[in-house]
Amino acid sequence: MSETVAIANYIGLSAVIFFIGVAGVLTRRNPLIILMAIELMWNAANLALVAFAKSWLNNAGHIFVFLVVTVAAAEAAIGLAIVVIVFRNARNVDVDEAASLRG
Amino acid sequence: MMLYALWLLPLVGALVLWTFGPQLKGLGGWVATAFIAASFALTVALFGAASQPNPGSFDGVSAPLVTWIPGFSLGLMLDPLSLLWTLVITGIGGLIHLYAIGYMEGDRAVARFFAYMNFFVFAMLTLVLSDNFVGLLVGWGLVGLASYFLIGFWFFKPSAVAAARKAFVINVVGDVGLMFAVFVLFKATGSAGYWTVFEKAPTLPESIVLLACICIFIGCAAKSAQVPLHTWLPDAMEGPTPVSALIHAATMVTAGVYLVARCAPLWSHSADARELVGTIGAITAIAGALLGIVQWDIKRVLAYSTMSQIGYMIMGVGVGAYSGGVLQFFTHAFFKADLFLAAGLVIHALGDEQDIRNMGGLRTKTPFAFWTMLIGTMSICGIPLLAGFYSKDEVVYQTLERGHPWMYAVAALTAGITAFYMFRMFFIAFFGKNRAGAGAAHAHHGSLPAWVMQLPVGLLALGAIASGYVSIGGDQSPWFRFLAPDFPAADNVPIYAVPISDGLSTVLVLAIVLVGIGLAYWRYGTAAATADASARLAREAKSQPQILVRGYYVDDLIGALVVRPAQAAGGFFGRIVDPHVVDGAVRDLAWIAGVLGLFVRRLQNGLVRAYAIALVVGVAGFLAYYAFAGVTK
Repeated sequence: MSETVAIANYIGLSAVIFFIGVAGVLTRRNPLIILMAIELMWNAANLALVAFAKSWLNNAGHIFVFLVVTVAAAEAAIGLAIVVIVFRNARNVDVDEAASLRG
Repeated sequence: MMLYALWLLPLVGALVLWTFGPQLKGLGGWVATAFIAASFALTVALFGAASQPNPGSFDGVSAPLVTWIPGFSLGLMLDPLSLLWTLVITGIGGLIHLYAIGYMEGDRAVARFFAYMNFFVFAMLTLVLSDNFVGLLVGWGLVGLASYFLIGFWFFKPSAVAAARKAFVINVVGDVGLMFAVFVLFKATGSAGYWTVFEKAPTLPESIVLLACICIFIGCAAKSAQVPLHTWLPDAMEGPTPVSALIHAATMVTAGVYLVARCAPLWSHSADARELVGTIGAITAIAGALLGIVQWDIKRVLAYSTMSQIGYMIMGVGVGAYSGGVLQFFTHAFFKADLFLAAGLVIHALGDEQDIRNMGGLRTKTPFAFWTMLIGTMSICGIPLLAGFYSKDEVVYQTLERGHPWMYAVAALTAGITAFYMFRMFFIAFFGKNRAGAGAAHAHHGSLPAWVMQLPVGLLALGAIASGYVSIGGDQSPWFRFLAPDFPAADNVPIYAVPISDGLSTVLVLAIVLVGIGLAYWRYGTAAATADASARLAREAKSQPQILVRGYYVDDLIGALVVRPAQAAGGFFGRIVDPHVVDGAVRDLAWIAGVLGLFVRRLQNGLVRAYAIALVVGVAGFLAYYAFAGVTK
């Protein structure tokens, strides 16, 4: 076993990545960038899962990561499909412009 | 099994006619008559089984219907009393169906008519065959519905529609009364079956029995046209004549008599109830008879005579003379159906003319109607050797025996008035010269042979002569022995010694009747009276006392006390409450929702990133909350 890294470091990195993702979702107007930011948040969560799984010697975390990766792939596919549809209809993919459901 | 069949056959007939009426065409009436005749045959076949109950019980033939409700067992039952009614309903009902084939020939909706008639018979059988108050109430409502259908059968006449509605509404008043009676009895005894209730009746407090009797009698008064709920019966004559004969003379209107007789154990335990019902019966008897004097429509004369005769029956069963009152029902069913159908022959022959002022001289024009009408009239007046004599004599004398001398006086006087107005109608319509105008020339000429209408009338006339003979022999007569098992409690009603004997009373009443007939003959029958009949009758029409012409103002009174307040309340609710309170509440709610929406819609700004911020803030809020909660715990 090589030199172990403290669990707090993993969690700290995970939190940093997660908030980078949140900031990306909140500040960017290009849906492709937003999807990438969401992908960051997924993987921050994945990182936390594997870190805890390793730390607590419980393989459930590893298995759960595969599930998350699968769901994330599906989400990306659907998200990109939506982006394509929106572009076809509006010739524009700015999320702030796609506000036709405004009350 | 036979009991189910005799009960359901008329319903099957009604369904067949409703479904295949257009295909059956002229056969519809024969089909309907066949179903009733089959039901009658089954009743006769069950006669032996049902008329020999175990001593002291009401057992007859019975059949369960509903057994799956704990504590309830609803079923059918044929005991002497219901057997009697079933015989009349299916027997006389069958004859009237046969007559109606001729009477309704050529009507556009003849299948619908016979479907209603069959349905009525089914409803009436439900009423009398039920062995419990719940089934009775169902039948009670169904006959009211059938009556509504048939009074309003000619729905293109506004007067028929109004009469049907009036009959229905007044009958519903009675239905509600009866329903409360069932509630009272169920609360007091825990059962709705006749026998359980009647077994416990002697142990109940008298006030409960009286309350139940009053509620039951409200139902009886509405159904049997007793004062003050009688006003629908004369109007009900808007229906076709066979309907008047079947429903508004022979069967349905006597349901009140059936119910009081059926509840004899209750009445036997409440002297106050006997007093009340006897009084109402006596008042109805004389009030109806007086109104009969001023009528010009031949069917309205008969309608008021029905009301008056039912008054006799109610008085009889009310004072505790159950067998006597039921005997009056039995003979009345024959002679009144005979009278109505004979009147129908006249109306048919004159092309729907019903005003006796436009008749006259019918003795030669319609001799068959003349003779059958004469038999019926003599029977209703109580001429010896005819059926009405035996029953009326029994009821009248029993009122005295049971300790109600003033009812006896009223009954005797009413007998005289009855003789007067019946023979008034008879003399005006059948004697003198024909006064028919040009409009009455188009008589009905059907393709059916005459016997279709004459046979039922002839048989009913025979019944009007002979149906009273069953009671010859007093307490030992077949009649009283037949019904005795149903009225074991009749002995509870005290019998008083009376100063005049039965025979003397008979002679006295007969003398009053003869005076009534003599007066009628003197006024309407003599050669001098018939010579200038048109002028005399026109004069009489002008000088009739208004209080009788307007029916004691009962309709006006009901109008002032019930109808107009109800209309005013309806107007108030329609113009004020509904638009301003009910609709107002709905409108205000909608307005509040709209105003709230003005604020809430700001949140729905369509910016995806704004929603994302809300999401993040929300998650952060939750995290903060649980973080603090974790600390404090």
